Amino acid sequence: MPAEKQPVPFRGAGFDPTPRRFASWIAFAGILLAWQAASSTGLLPELFMPSPDAVLSALARMSASGELWLHLGTSIRRIVLGFLLGAFAGLLLGLAMGIFSMARAVGLPIVSALFPIPKIALLPLLILWFGIGETSKVATIALGVFFPTAVAAKTAVDGVARNLIRMAQSFGTPASAIVWKIVLPGALPGILGGLRIAASIALILVTAAEMIGAEYGVGALVLGAGNLMQTDKLVAGVVLLSLMGLAVSFGIGLLERRLLRWR
Amino acid sequence: MQLIARAVGHRYGALEVLAGIDIEVREGETLALIGPSGCGKSTLLGILGGMIEASAGSVELRGVPPAGCLNPLTYVFQDFALLPWRSVADNVALGLEHHAIGRRERKERIEAVLALTGLGDFADAYPRQLSGGMRQRVGIARAIAVRPAVLLMDEPLSALDAQTRELLQEELTAIWARERTTTVYVTHNLTEALHLADRVAVLSRRPGRLKQILEVPIPREERASPAHAPMLAQLHAALWDQIRVEAAAADREVADAG
Amino acid sequence: MRARFGIVAAILAAIATPAAAAEKASVGALAFVSSAPIFIAKEKGYFERQGLDVEVKFFQAAQPIAVAVASGDVDFGITGLTGGFFNLAAKGALKMVAAQSREEPGFNFVGYLVTPKAYEAGFKTVKDYPGKTVGITTVGSTFHYNIGMLADKYGFKLSDVSLKPLQTVPNMVAAMKGGQVDSILLPANQALGLERDGAGKIIGWVHEHTPWQLGALFTSTSNTTAKRSTVQKFVDAYVMACADYAAAFHDRDASGKRVFGPKADALIPILQKYVKPEPNADQVKASVSFIDPQGRLMVRDLYNQVAWYKAQGMVDASADAKTMMDLGFLKQHLDLPN
Repeated sequence: MPAEKQPVPFRGAGFDPTPRRFASWIAFAGILLAWQAASSTGLLPELFMPSPDAVLSALARMSASGELWLHLGTSIRRIVLGFLLGAFAGLLLGLAMGIFSMARAVGLPIVSALFPIPKIALLPLLILWFGIGETSKVATIALGVFFPTAVAAKTAVDGVARNLIRMAQSFGTPASAIVWKIVLPGALPGILGGLRIAASIALILVTAAEMIGAEYGVGALVLGAGNLMQTDKLVAGVVLLSLMGLAVSFGIGLLERRLLRWR
Repeated sequence: MQLIARAVGHRYGALEVLAGIDIEVREGETLALIGPSGCGKSTLLGILGGMIEASAGSVELRGVPPAGCLNPLTYVFQDFALLPWRSVADNVALGLEHHAIGRRERKERIEAVLALTGLGDFADAYPRQLSGGMRQRVGIARAIAVRPAVLLMDEPLSALDAQTRELLQEELTAIWARERTTTVYVTHNLTEALHLADRVAVLSRRPGRLKQILEVPIPREERASPAHAPMLAQLHAALWDQIRVEAAAADREVADAG
Repeated sequence: MRARFGIVAAILAAIATPAAAAEKASVGALAFVSSAPIFIAKEKGYFERQGLDVEVKFFQAAQPIAVAVASGDVDFGITGLTGGFFNLAAKGALKMVAAQSREEPGFNFVGYLVTPKAYEAGFKTVKDYPGKTVGITTVGSTFHYNIGMLADKYGFKLSDVSLKPLQTVPNMVAAMKGGQVDSILLPANQALGLERDGAGKIIGWVHEHTPWQLGALFTSTSNTTAKRSTVQKFVDAYVMACADYAAAFHDRDASGKRVFGPKADALIPILQKYVKPEPNADQVKASVSFIDPQGRLMVRDLYNQVAWYKAQGMVDASADAKTMMDLGFLKQHLDLPN
């Protein structure tokens, strides 16, 4: 090699995701602005897509008339009730399948067979069984929440490190205390992950559940607005649904931060 | 207390891993168990503590348990086995929770073992915040908090780096000097065994049989002294001679099987 | 080389122009008897005579037809009038140009059906609707409007009737059979069938209480300006078919009972060809609604409909019925407002 000096360039840049706090807000605002601009200039005809200010004013009108709160309250009640029922039953079965060999042998094939059935396909059956009142709507949501919760709980229990259970046994911890002190806390991250998915499913299903016989509810609002071609109300309803999704995601995130501080 | 195994054998299905083990762990001694990989050291330790059911033979405890003993046969694990959702103090508390001791005594015991293992300032820390060495200190603190009759240690230092290992060896020596707890110590590290044990038991390759028990005729506190270095080196060479043949054979067996 | 090109071009030209090129047009319709004039005009060659090559595109529901016309995917649409239709029309995208079915006294079309249990319990006339549960397809559907008209006519509050949107007619029938609703509204053919099976009681017909303009032929606003002559040709052919339809299906005897003669028998096979599922002759006779022989719209009634939807908050307050129709394609319409 000749005695030439060669600088060594830095080659390790990029592929290193770093948090950008305001980027998402700026992007969101940018999209809204572009949408509003396209609507205002007539590039995006009102016939095909309402402008953001039309959506906002639809929300404001519904809020002022109280319609909005009636829809929201009705849906939230259905979601909360269905979610609690489905999650509780799913947790019980999932934990049982994770802990007891018999429950697993009986439950797992049944759950695996029923999980992939779209619950919307069962809606007519649910209506035959539970009528067109609140029961069938809550049942649809509960059913949708039940299966992912059960599977997540079972998988989470499977994932609890066996060495921790052996350790507790070696210290003379009784079996029931092992479930409370080792299995449940160890499965908690997986269970919360399952509940996060289940909550999104509950939100998706509320629209389906409110297709039949519902006068109020955000799902009924969206469907009704669709039937009436009230696109501003329709998009307003979709905005409500996505806000509910954000709220649920935020709530579960809060729960995770609180319960899983140790991670 | 004494821990006595008689004619202990074990098989996993058709695979025989231990055969005809007769061993007596004496009151207050530290017995190291060494042997080539796969010779069944850990299985034997599991059988000694009642965590694995032996296929043949029996194990018994003899003597009077120490004062305040809550869990006569207590393990320290290679992978620490700490509950990540519990603080250091609460991890130590686990072994005390299902026994008839008062809240106050529990607290006192926890404070005492944390002080003994140098964890006094970390009582509220979570395992993820600790280094490997600190984590194993928690594992040791948890074990001695129950005042065991026999401490069963399964390669407790093998997951640690060399420097931390040395430090913890010194600390274990100090703890034993104080507590005189009967200990069975499984390791594959001959230096460690010679450093810590009163006697070293050598197992053959699979199926593991007891080949030899070697006394280390130097008081534990003096083994770090350069004066004893030649003798320790001699013992090391003797042990290595035993193991090397077995280890080489075992290695070939594994290779053949693969 | 050049010579060969010439030959190919000549052949292509010969294939492409069988006669003076027919203008292409498409119409979105439901495979129902109520779309009959379209089927008749096509089968009897009325469109062809106007120089139009019309393709009938079938849809599963009324709403998408209006959307397809608004977006220009089809040129014409023929359906019942709903809140959704008026909202699209209010945005200036659609114009009604001629009439489809209407509820005309003496012609059974949609009936009020109640469960036997509710009937026994005293639900015997349409004045008994307050306090009852009624299954409808969707909010703003023609069924919804029918109940609304009853409320206005007999002075009860629409909010006293519990309306359950069930999305589809089969769902409505199931809900009634299951006793989950007290009443539903159904077209005559299905209503009579359910009554025959003992699953329901017909307590009246819409035409007995609230005659109205049920449906219309419509096109996009841009077609009424840019392709005005095409629209005119289409409407002309359509009206000829309406006249055929009326001559075949509107006959009644001295007692007011409907009778079906040879003209009806001649048209029924045409309807059977298009209507799905294929009906038998009796089912066609039970389904044929009244369609104005000259395709004239009941204009004042359309104004009333828009006013009702606006009052219910289902159609935007700024909507103006006047802008939703182009009355210039027929010599005259019915019942013009001042």
